[in-house]
Amino acid sequence: MLFPSIVLGATVALAGSIDASTTEAVATPNLFALRVGTAETISHGTIPNAVILIENGRIVMVGEDLPIERGIPTFDFPDAVVMPGMVGSRSRLGLDGRAGTDITPELSAAFELEPGAKVFGDVLELGVTTLGLYPAGGGIPGVGIAVRTKGSTFEEMLLAEPTNLSMYISSNESAKKLIEKGFELVDKYMEDVAKEREKFDKAVEKEKDKKKKEEMVFTPPVPDEKALPMLRLVTGELRAVIGMRKAADYLHLMDVIGEREFDWDVQANLTDDGDFFYIADRLGAAGRRMIVNPSITLHPGTRRERNLPKELHEAGCKLAFVPESDSVGGFRDLRADVATLVRYGLDRQVGLRALTLEGAEVIGMADQLGSIDAGKFANLLLFDGDPLEAGTELLGVMLDGDFVAGDLAD
Amino acid sequence: MKHLNSLNAAAFAAALLAAPTLWAATAPTALGLAPTTSVAADDDEDEKEDEWHLVAGGDVYTGTGAVLRGASILIKNGLIHEIGYDLFVPEGAGETDVSGYRVYPGLIALGATSRVTTGRFAAEDPTWAIDPLSDPDEWMTSFEDEDLDLPTVDQDGFKSRYIDSYDPFSPYMTLALANGITACEQSGAAFKLRRDGIEGVVMNEDTSTNFNMRGGSARQRTRDGFAGAAKYLRDMATWERRGKPKDDEPSTRGVDTNSLRVLRNELDATFFADDRLTLLAIARLAQDYGFRPIVQGCREGWIVADELGRAGALVVLDPRERSWNDPESLYESGSSIENAAILHRSGCQIAVRTPSASIDTSGIAGRDLLSLSLQAGYAIRGGLDEEVALAAITLVPARVLGIDHRVGSIEVGKDADLLVTRGDILHYETLVDLAFVMGKIAYDKNKELYYAHLQPHQIAADLEADAAAESEDGSEADDADGDTDGDADESGDDD
Repeated sequence: MLFPSIVLGATVALAGSIDASTTEAVATPNLFALRVGTAETISHGTIPNAVILIENGRIVMVGEDLPIERGIPTFDFPDAVVMPGMVGSRSRLGLDGRAGTDITPELSAAFELEPGAKVFGDVLELGVTTLGLYPAGGGIPGVGIAVRTKGSTFEEMLLAEPTNLSMYISSNESAKKLIEKGFELVDKYMEDVAKEREKFDKAVEKEKDKKKKEEMVFTPPVPDEKALPMLRLVTGELRAVIGMRKAADYLHLMDVIGEREFDWDVQANLTDDGDFFYIADRLGAAGRRMIVNPSITLHPGTRRERNLPKELHEAGCKLAFVPESDSVGGFRDLRADVATLVRYGLDRQVGLRALTLEGAEVIGMADQLGSIDAGKFANLLLFDGDPLEAGTELLGVMLDGDFVAGDLAD
Repeated sequence: MKHLNSLNAAAFAAALLAAPTLWAATAPTALGLAPTTSVAADDDEDEKEDEWHLVAGGDVYTGTGAVLRGASILIKNGLIHEIGYDLFVPEGAGETDVSGYRVYPGLIALGATSRVTTGRFAAEDPTWAIDPLSDPDEWMTSFEDEDLDLPTVDQDGFKSRYIDSYDPFSPYMTLALANGITACEQSGAAFKLRRDGIEGVVMNEDTSTNFNMRGGSARQRTRDGFAGAAKYLRDMATWERRGKPKDDEPSTRGVDTNSLRVLRNELDATFFADDRLTLLAIARLAQDYGFRPIVQGCREGWIVADELGRAGALVVLDPRERSWNDPESLYESGSSIENAAILHRSGCQIAVRTPSASIDTSGIAGRDLLSLSLQAGYAIRGGLDEEVALAAITLVPARVLGIDHRVGSIEVGKDADLLVTRGDILHYETLVDLAFVMGKIAYDKNKELYYAHLQPHQIAADLEADAAAESEDGSEADDADGDTDGDADESGDDD
């Protein structure tokens, strides 16, 4: 397909800005500059006439009308809008596994991954450059991983492991017990540490040789692999994503976790009759991140429409969007769904952020991706207009500095 | 593929050791091992400020007979602290001005379906985390697990599956509150309809036990049970009088535990019965063994009212029951609109229930839980006193559920479960404008969608107008004594 209106530089032999009217694929060199009409940086707003300097797959510099050093190849897209690659922070695409409802924090979504599955390429075409994959099952099914949506081996795809620990709460005794038992693993390990400590202290007391006494070092017992992710949770190394369906589940979760403190986000599927507005103030006061689908839902028992994501945001929640259906089709509709929420009052920047940077936060990679900032991966989407506009085309998807999808790809 | 977690386990332990500050920060708060935790919690409780709220100027129908015109109710931490006139209101207390409105105790519904505290209009899918397509077996078994959730009671009191599935945001609960119900019986437990949390919502779940008196053999078995229990109690008394000699303690073998608990006054005995003969048998059993039976149904109670009255029965009935008399019978039979009135005159306590225990926006209008106050109105039509009819949906059902020390009337020390209405609660045209549960507004007609369009009340509007006026004239809001009456030194007069 041709896009004659797009002006881009294809020949890198010539230095400086190139004004070649070609729609051929673009092969990017190691170091190059991208000059676009508009950049949605997410982290610091919208920059007109933005120049993005990219080296070794990472963004080196971003700014408005930055002077480009002589000799650096530059690709000009004067009408294009660029935004960071989308982050599907909670997905089971390309995973093949089944599990019951149990406490298996030691399991990982990595066990289920089929590297190079076709579906990854499909969502990459739609602008999803990063996926946070989570393991199958209920209760505490295990930890997630973060992957690139390109690569034929596990190593090529893997970005981070573990990213977060999945948990599910619902308003019934068995679900609450499972979470409680998960935290009992922590209590048990702490008891073991206390016992060992006691033994160690006694041993130190018995030792008469002063020199030896000073050399004695307490080694806590090595936690078993089941307890380890739970321990990481309470020490703040890992965050949890807790799935719930309705407002009451949140109250029951608070009943279970009580005084325990750890970082966690909420994943909730917003459906008609969804009632999270009842606890929006509590979630907002805690600054809770809500991983939700961008859908307009109905007030329980009525036909009155509610923009729950907007309400949650205005209450103080952070928002990360995942498609209503975790499928290629779902990702295809994702931008349009967000556009609907924006039309119904959600702040546009919040909507874009929920597709990118907040998703990166969910998988613990906000320092690596999710916005157009120096030091981050050059995962960029090039559009011929506003990304939320229905008629806008995605021209190219850049992953680690290379155009890998869209008409600009090889 | 080797998992990264297990590889890092040793490293984690080392990191734990290397970060003592993190360790110290985590241990007491997150893991609850340090003894300081409990101390800290106590401190928090001390520092927690009392919450005061004044429901001011309404006509207070206390539910115990008294009506206090233009009286105020002072609520402290969800309980009724004081009722009367010119109350001293502490600084910072909230206020709802309900002058011109009536204030009633919250209604109590017997025999509600479990939907009230758990249901959603949308279909429930407890297995949402499991994909039925990829996991058909697991999906099926997860339903079975749900059914196996049996109630458990722990040492802290009532903690059971009832509380673990309680949903304060259930639309059914909104509907129940909209019709004045602030507490209900559900699956044998007494629930408070709280909308702001799940703490303390189960008020009692061990209130009564059912006995069967229908049919000759069942009657004989029940009688034998009570006879055995009575004999055991007599033997125990004798044994105790003899100084509790060793080896001679009466055995509980073969003694019916439930009968024994009833005779020890630990548990109420409930009987489901409608026909004259069964009701007579219940009345005589209760008189013989000296306990007060709870009789559910009681359609032909009006025929044997004297006997039931002598037994001091608590009768739970539906005043709109319809059944014809048997023309071939020598005795009177069938239902009577006067049932409640006659039974009450004979000395029974009357609780009114609805014909249908369900609750819905699409049910048969006027027959489900949403019509509780209307049912009591039918009892009045049959001659029951209005005051007694109010008690039949407040205080008496509270007694039936063993929660009358907490709810059922407006009295100092009880839970502040209050209804604010414009007219008589038993009148069919009256709608609940506000419902307070534990001193907090749990239902506001103007704000919920169900009845907002019908006769909107002016209470909230007045409040908002007051707030607006105050913000325009900031000086008014800040008297030295924290209220807005302009009297700066009244707080000095009080202790």
